[in-house]
Amino acid sequence: MANHEDRRDFLEKVASAVFAGMVLGGAKVEAQAPAGGVEPTPPPPFKISSEAQEDVLLRMQRDLQRALTKPIEERRWGMVIDTRKCVGCHACTVGCVMENKLPPGVVYRPVIDMEVGEYPNVDRKFLPRPCMQCDKPPCVPVCPVGATWKRKDGIVEIDYDACIGCRYCITACPYSARTFDFGENWTDAAAAGKDGPLALETGRIYEELPNFEYGETWERGEGIIPQSPVGNARKCTFCIHRVEKGVLPMCVTTCIGRATFFGDFNDPESLVSELIARNNAVRLKEELGTEPKVYYLV
Amino acid sequence: AQGEGAYPLVEPENIIYGLCLQCHTECTLKIKLQDGVVSKIDGNPFSPGNMQPQLDYATSPQQAAKVDGSICPKGQAGVQTQYDPYRIRKVLKRAGPRGSGKWKAISFDQAIDEIVNGGKLFADIGDDRVYPGFKDVFKLKDARLAKEMAADVAAIRAGRMTVQEFKQKHSAHLDLLIDPDHPDLGPKNNQFVFMAGRIEHGRKEYAKRFTFGGLGSINWYAHTTICEQAHHIAYKYATAQWVEKLGKYSWKKGKDHMKPDFEGAEFVIFWGTGFAEANFGPPPMTPQVTQAATDGKLKYAVIDPRLSKSAAHGWWIPVKPGGDLALALGMIRWIIENRRYDAAFLRNANKAAANAGGEKSWSNATWLVNPETGRFIRASELGLGGEGEFVVLASGRPVAVDPYDSEQPVTGDLEVDTEVGGLPAKSAFQVLKEEVFKHDLDFYAREAGLEKKTIVDLAREFTSHGKRAAIDFYRGPIKFTYGYYAAQAIIHLNLLIGNIDHKGGLVTGGGKYNAMGGVFDLKKMHTGALTPFGVKSNREASGPYETSTLFKRDGYPAKRPWFPFTDDVYQEIIPSAASGYPYPIKILWLHKGTPVLATPAGHLQIDMLKDPDKVPLYIADDIVIGETSMYADYVFPDLTYLERWAFEGFSPAIKVKNWKLRQPAAAPVPEIVEVDGEAMPISMESMMLAIAKKLRAPGYGKDGFATSWDFNRPEDYYLKMVANVAMQDPPVPAAPDAEVELLRKARRHLPKAVFDEGKWRKAVGGGVWRQVVTVLNRGGRFEAWDKAYAPDGEFVAHTWSKLMNLYAEPIGTGVHSVTAKRLSGVPRFERMTGFDGTVIEFPSEYDLKLFTYKEIYGGQSRTSSNYAAQQAIQPENFVHISAKDAERLGLRDGDVVQVRSPDFEGTFEVAPGRSERVEGKVRVSQGIRPGSVAISWHYGHWAYGSSDVEIDGTTVAGDPTRGRGLVPNPAMAVDPYLKDVCLTDPIAGDSAYGGTYVKLVKVAGAVAEGAKQNARAAAMEEAARAVFRNS
Repeated sequence: MANHEDRRDFLEKVASAVFAGMVLGGAKVEAQAPAGGVEPTPPPPFKISSEAQEDVLLRMQRDLQRALTKPIEERRWGMVIDTRKCVGCHACTVGCVMENKLPPGVVYRPVIDMEVGEYPNVDRKFLPRPCMQCDKPPCVPVCPVGATWKRKDGIVEIDYDACIGCRYCITACPYSARTFDFGENWTDAAAAGKDGPLALETGRIYEELPNFEYGETWERGEGIIPQSPVGNARKCTFCIHRVEKGVLPMCVTTCIGRATFFGDFNDPESLVSELIARNNAVRLKEELGTEPKVYYLV
Repeated sequence: AQGEGAYPLVEPENIIYGLCLQCHTECTLKIKLQDGVVSKIDGNPFSPGNMQPQLDYATSPQQAAKVDGSICPKGQAGVQTQYDPYRIRKVLKRAGPRGSGKWKAISFDQAIDEIVNGGKLFADIGDDRVYPGFKDVFKLKDARLAKEMAADVAAIRAGRMTVQEFKQKHSAHLDLLIDPDHPDLGPKNNQFVFMAGRIEHGRKEYAKRFTFGGLGSINWYAHTTICEQAHHIAYKYATAQWVEKLGKYSWKKGKDHMKPDFEGAEFVIFWGTGFAEANFGPPPMTPQVTQAATDGKLKYAVIDPRLSKSAAHGWWIPVKPGGDLALALGMIRWIIENRRYDAAFLRNANKAAANAGGEKSWSNATWLVNPETGRFIRASELGLGGEGEFVVLASGRPVAVDPYDSEQPVTGDLEVDTEVGGLPAKSAFQVLKEEVFKHDLDFYAREAGLEKKTIVDLAREFTSHGKRAAIDFYRGPIKFTYGYYAAQAIIHLNLLIGNIDHKGGLVTGGGKYNAMGGVFDLKKMHTGALTPFGVKSNREASGPYETSTLFKRDGYPAKRPWFPFTDDVYQEIIPSAASGYPYPIKILWLHKGTPVLATPAGHLQIDMLKDPDKVPLYIADDIVIGETSMYADYVFPDLTYLERWAFEGFSPAIKVKNWKLRQPAAAPVPEIVEVDGEAMPISMESMMLAIAKKLRAPGYGKDGFATSWDFNRPEDYYLKMVANVAMQDPPVPAAPDAEVELLRKARRHLPKAVFDEGKWRKAVGGGVWRQVVTVLNRGGRFEAWDKAYAPDGEFVAHTWSKLMNLYAEPIGTGVHSVTAKRLSGVPRFERMTGFDGTVIEFPSEYDLKLFTYKEIYGGQSRTSSNYAAQQAIQPENFVHISAKDAERLGLRDGDVVQVRSPDFEGTFEVAPGRSERVEGKVRVSQGIRPGSVAISWHYGHWAYGSSDVEIDGTTVAGDPTRGRGLVPNPAMAVDPYLKDVCLTDPIAGDSAYGGTYVKLVKVAGAVAEGAKQNARAAAMEEAARAVFRNS
């Protein structure tokens, strides 16, 4: 994968500086990626029940397939969340955890559940909060080792092999979008041992499976910095490992309210471009000038 | 990191389609495997439950691999149910007294041998008691004799035979009966009781085959009365049909569920339920509702004392808990008074009239009732027609009605109060009107805890959209002793606007493909099946008390209530066994259930289960040792929903025909054993096969189904059901070679004990195998989404097109078995009442009305093991009270309180020296009605992996995170007549989760949480609030 190459190139450039104990503040935001990206994928031959009416997931998947036929630097991935359709179910939160095999404490997409008003004139508001994939990401310049940067398609990436776990980026993110992998496991408090009358061993095998963030296979416990991604900062990747396979991000496909939309902001035909053109589209903490690529419809 | 670009989860050979069971919505799943391990679960894109519209059924599974459908957070967390360290792998036999938490692992063969043969099973721990085995209940084995005795018992109940005559006729076989003086109790076989908590179609039929035709016991139970039975029963009577069989007419209960057509509706009321939590269920319903509402087509109200997630974007009506019946009756009153009902619909008295009036369904609103008997007047009584015909007044003249006559339209007068042929006569509508008009709107508003204006506004809105309005309800309004009437009243509101079958109205859903018949008639394919008969051990569905020989002995009041109108009266099963009424039992098999935890006041059942005099042999099967199976003599491991078979249909929220398939996707965690030479994992299925074969019970082994159709493996049964669905006209296409190959490859991780292609093929025969593969490869069968509506655009495609009952004659002629009072054929206002008729009062110090609810990330009793969902999102549940009550009671957010009621002092003993406290943290909110307290379900475990057990002398430590929070059930009120079970609806048998007043006793102050974390969370929330301020 091209992105993997990006990271390797980048890492080689910064590695000597890291080991010399230097701090690379304000490192470059754009990776030096070769043009092209993945092989163009033809649109899938979906046959659906009715051409006139289809699940919005299929429309977005076609948008995505179209974007993938373009060179990577011409794509601008973005997300739109319709707060009127969000029912606060947390399917996205949990779907993301299971997709990316996130351990306890690492949350990419929480949903904020707020009460507004006083009884009986009271309302509840739900706000899912992924990584904003900012055009001007405050997390990037603070990284002392250049382990995080903005890719050509706008995704802010973290290289777990390079991250030293200093957590500056966690503090820098105004959206609390980054969390730290302390190396905990979901079953840490459960009895351990060999399989016998109970499944003490088999009962936790799913925790050892690798994940596929950024299109790579990450075995927790491996890495240049020992144990990566344990000991690293982690955040939402827009499921770019899925996107580049022609599949929508997990939070999008599993949204039971169909409240989350994903696509290429550079494509005027895409659903997300249509949606952000409306006057009810707002962004979080617009005043900070971070230029988030996540819009909320209110 | 390594392996660039790898993402095995989109490869078709790593995908198996299955069915969720985190809740009973049972959504269709796409189960993804990684190195043979279930790694990710998503929604099945072939299914209308996960994509709307779904993919065309003709799409190949290879193409569909890249399309994921949606699924809720519980469904997402299913991997953690599958791989749970506390899953049982081997049979556990208790190594101490019941509930001691001491176990030893034994072989499956030994366990089956012991439970079949009985004996001094616990002599090794110093217990010399002789325990019964299955051989002690499998007494009546002669199919012909069973059938004959069953017929003769029916004759006794009908008054056509005396007990003496029965005893003479069957003198050689009286030893087979529980009590020869009361043959209507049935054979000793009935002393085996199968009690299921969660059980689904496929498994239901499999287990009934074992219990009924195999073992000859009548006592097969599911758990519906701790769920929403009053909803089902009210629908079943509202849709009951008048059927003729061999010249005799009777009411045949109808459908148990209808739902609004959310896509077509302009206004929907969610009554004590919602579309985004619980119900049936969020993934199928939510996209329909959020889309229509955001498009501005649909407006909806949510009636709930708590501002639920569904209510968040809707019109919230914070009814008083239990005030639902009053609210519904108030709405009915206003609608009748203001003539906002659809008179034309209601006047249609038969099919012809409905069709002439442009309707599909019709009602009995105009049929004449004799108010003295509660019975409809028959045309034969007036010399107007036959036995099967009723009477209406048409323009003042009595006319006979055949409900199903499609030639001669009969329209009746709605308001009739007269005499016909010397009989007092009122129309059903009149009976309803008089009952509802007994109280005025002020009374109903007071009882509902709402402004009169709110009732009027709601009723006006509901009647302002023609047929394009409907009410959905489930558990909320009905978990009271008057639950049946509340359910009936809500159904009546739908009937009053005549919305049945209409686009945007109340619809029956697409229905499911028939799995029991077709290629294989599974109802009949049971060689030598026994005919079970007798009174069920909890007296449900066993005819009226008055026709039993026990009534002749005891008269009124019955010692314990009878439930002729309902079934699955779960909370009564163990107390009935403990009391020995109507007879003692010998063996209890608890399948995947936890009545001690899940039943209101279920903790009272602990002592009953611990006592071998009351429950002599007690076996259980489940995936983890639970709060009720912890008292069992033997616990068998069961398979999870990702490892085995079963089937369901969608709720009526899906308007196209469907059938959802559960099939083995994960390699089994339980031990693989041999049953009669066949390898298979331990499960409910293998237990039944092993027991039946050891007993030589009919219908198992060689020729068990029919000549040359053997029953040796679970799939011998289940795959026949798949074949029935696959071949239903028109059959699905035969799978091409590539799909057969895909089937094989996707199962390469399964042991031969689960997937053996030759055996699967043999179970259905080669002729249909490829059609079966097509269904297996898509996780079921689903009609195209665009088949939902009829071409005319006014009606749905799958209609009811039958009679709807405004008056339920069986209930209206029914008698309460304890108070001997008549029940009502129309809804009537009632208060919380015990079986002896006492109205339940609470001392004033108990001043908060308790109700429960479900979070979407929690299910019934098995989601505390979902570490990444329930535990991560909300590690413990709360005692929700309003800000107003918090101020009054001096309670702060986070204070720890104990929940007490007049029947419950806050703690109960689960084992000697081990007490559980019903305590939790207060959560103060504006989103709950003052005067009430809400506690969610799915927390408060004291077993299920949350506490230590000892197995083979070694302590296995529990994970205390699984036991956090509280379960409110012990605080729920106890019936004053029975004293050992919760308050219960006498008609539907539903258990009263609602209606209890409690008090909160502070036991500890709030503990300050991490300030830094709170500051970050607060800053984020402030930013989020800013987004909404801009709107």
